[in-house]
Amino acid sequence: MGSRPGPRLPRALRRVAGGFAVPLGSVIFAFIVGALLVAVTGGDPFQAYSGLLCGGLGIACANGENSALQISTTIVYFTPLIMAGVAVALPFRAGLFNIGAEGQFLAGAVACTFIGVKFSNLPAPILLPLVLLGGILAGAIWAGIPGVLKATIGAHEVVTTIMLNYVAQWLIRYLIVGGPLQLPHGFSVSSPIGAGARLPSFLPNDNSLIIFGLPAGVYRVHTGLLIAIAALAVFAILLWRTSLGYEIRAVGQSQRAARYAGISVPRTIIVTMLISGAFAGLAGAIQIAGIDHNLTDKYFNDTTGFDAIAVALLGLGSAVGILLASILFGALHAGGAVMQQDAGISSSLVQVLQALILFSIAANFLRVLRFPAFGRRPSAPSPTAPAAALMTEAAKAPPEETQT
Amino acid sequence: VTFLGDIAHVLATADLWRLTLEAAALLLLPALGGVISERSGVVNIAMEGMMLTGAFFSVVADLAWHNPWAAALVGIIAGGLMALIHAVVSIRFRADQIVSGIAINIFATGLTVFLVNRLYGLADVGHVGQANLLPYINIPLLDQIPFLGRVLFQQNVVVYAALILLVVVHLVLFRTRLGLRIRAVGEHPQAADTAGINVYVIRYGAVITSGVFSGLAGAFLAIGISNTFVHDMTDGRGYIALAAVIFGKWTPFGAFVACLIFGLGQAIYDNNSIIHVSQYLLSMLPYVLTLVVLAGVVGRSIPPAADGIPYAPENE
Repeated sequence: MGSRPGPRLPRALRRVAGGFAVPLGSVIFAFIVGALLVAVTGGDPFQAYSGLLCGGLGIACANGENSALQISTTIVYFTPLIMAGVAVALPFRAGLFNIGAEGQFLAGAVACTFIGVKFSNLPAPILLPLVLLGGILAGAIWAGIPGVLKATIGAHEVVTTIMLNYVAQWLIRYLIVGGPLQLPHGFSVSSPIGAGARLPSFLPNDNSLIIFGLPAGVYRVHTGLLIAIAALAVFAILLWRTSLGYEIRAVGQSQRAARYAGISVPRTIIVTMLISGAFAGLAGAIQIAGIDHNLTDKYFNDTTGFDAIAVALLGLGSAVGILLASILFGALHAGGAVMQQDAGISSSLVQVLQALILFSIAANFLRVLRFPAFGRRPSAPSPTAPAAALMTEAAKAPPEETQT
Repeated sequence: VTFLGDIAHVLATADLWRLTLEAAALLLLPALGGVISERSGVVNIAMEGMMLTGAFFSVVADLAWHNPWAAALVGIIAGGLMALIHAVVSIRFRADQIVSGIAINIFATGLTVFLVNRLYGLADVGHVGQANLLPYINIPLLDQIPFLGRVLFQQNVVVYAALILLVVVHLVLFRTRLGLRIRAVGEHPQAADTAGINVYVIRYGAVITSGVFSGLAGAFLAIGISNTFVHDMTDGRGYIALAAVIFGKWTPFGAFVACLIFGLGQAIYDNNSIIHVSQYLLSMLPYVLTLVVLAGVVGRSIPPAADGIPYAPENE
């Protein structure tokens, strides 16, 4: 291998270009196919995408939308995505596929709401840490079950986490439709959490204060963003600067080699899942504490945990990548609403784009075009394609003990 | 005591068991598809999306042509095409089959709503007339048998089809050369390849079959049990079918038993006015039971050896 001369670029530059090529190519592929779909069904792709651009990034707004407000909405969308993205990316490194970030996210949201409602009179310095810890714990438990099942008897984590997603989803329906958390005389909403359980917004909810032409209260960016950034830093440090991170990566590379190195594979699997669930649960808690303040029927169709899979894959499992991918998907979701309003194109186009990105990044369609920079042979692992390497590790699911 | 009495009363009604079989058949079709696909070594968590696509296109076709049979065929083809995407991405491009499956499910949700919006605007999709639904057919004479007649022989045409397919799939998988080849490809593709079996053809065929079955289930849901399309109307049934595949240890009849258990839960749910158990807690049942099975309480559930691993010939 490696006899083929690459393009004459400095090595560092080539690595950066190679790292960005696959995700960027996937996004471009998705937008082209999405545009074709809009055009074929009689829509105007340019109008659709300018709606997305306006809603997502506050650029090129045709109907006088407020740019600052659009950007604020995007930030609100991507805040939980960062943490949920970490919850998927970390197990990838250990060769585990956590499809259950959704269930763990919902478990965190439930725990936060439950504590925030039941102890609503406690002051913020006590209640706020309590609801966030509750979310972390609930998420960790929700991911810990598949972790234990995987480590002890080799039950495939993909299947167990899918099952737990639905258990969490039905649990929420049970709790807020006639169940113990339902707002008295309400329907499909829980009681609101106490004032002490709420994360402060960056801007005061003061309508006499005008910022960028709108009252400050409309910008809903909250301090959960800081927690999300901190979570991202914790993820990077944990993975690359701690012995646990080394063990996680070693198990992901080869369980057999890790075992020879004296690493307990079952323990690493369980710990990885617990930490992963903690991140997703924290995301759910922050969504309640920072923005929603109660569970609503919106959570029946929540997709944060599934978006997180796309975030982790598109971000190639790195902290910077997760941040960038979260911003992209946050912008797409925020932009979808404006696109639907301005261009009359259903916001579900965003899901179509997301699916296309997933197809493209998983299949690495670019390979077929045989560009020198990413024309690698499928069988040859290459440092420029960490996602593909992660994926092959994730595909060999059961621990070796179970294989006979 | 009255509670147990109520349960006994409900369990004694033929209608409960008729509904159980109907709900089970709806799950059985994608589950059979899942069994075939996974037996050939391609993990399929995309039955949900294939069903949803089948449901949508069968409604579109039925509204346009007023013919349930043609509409069901359109639903079947749509499900098959969705499966073809999964097949191309995961067999030709050797992508991760789980990512591809997730992508199919997200794609189906997005595409159907997008197309509803393009085709029908913001209004409802519209309702299919009673005359244009997939019919319920009473089998002459047999339907007169007390109790059993109501349960077994006053069903929708798709229920009969699902039961026939159950037997056919079982026989093909375990009694024919084709079945042996499918299983060989799923257990040890290299050996199968050496023995002259075309791994790709078998896997393409198996995955597309799973889409065809799921598409039929979608049509049954949309223009048999219901009469319109609504956003995400499959509501996790494709995943319950996946649970049934695992619960049934990758065998057709095992999956059918699981579908009956899950279907009974669904039927009790529909009779909720009599049995006062939260319908939402009941809805968790399939997922919790599958977790219990996976936890090894009812014996181990072990997938085909090459399930989920893309096949790459060694000389490539």
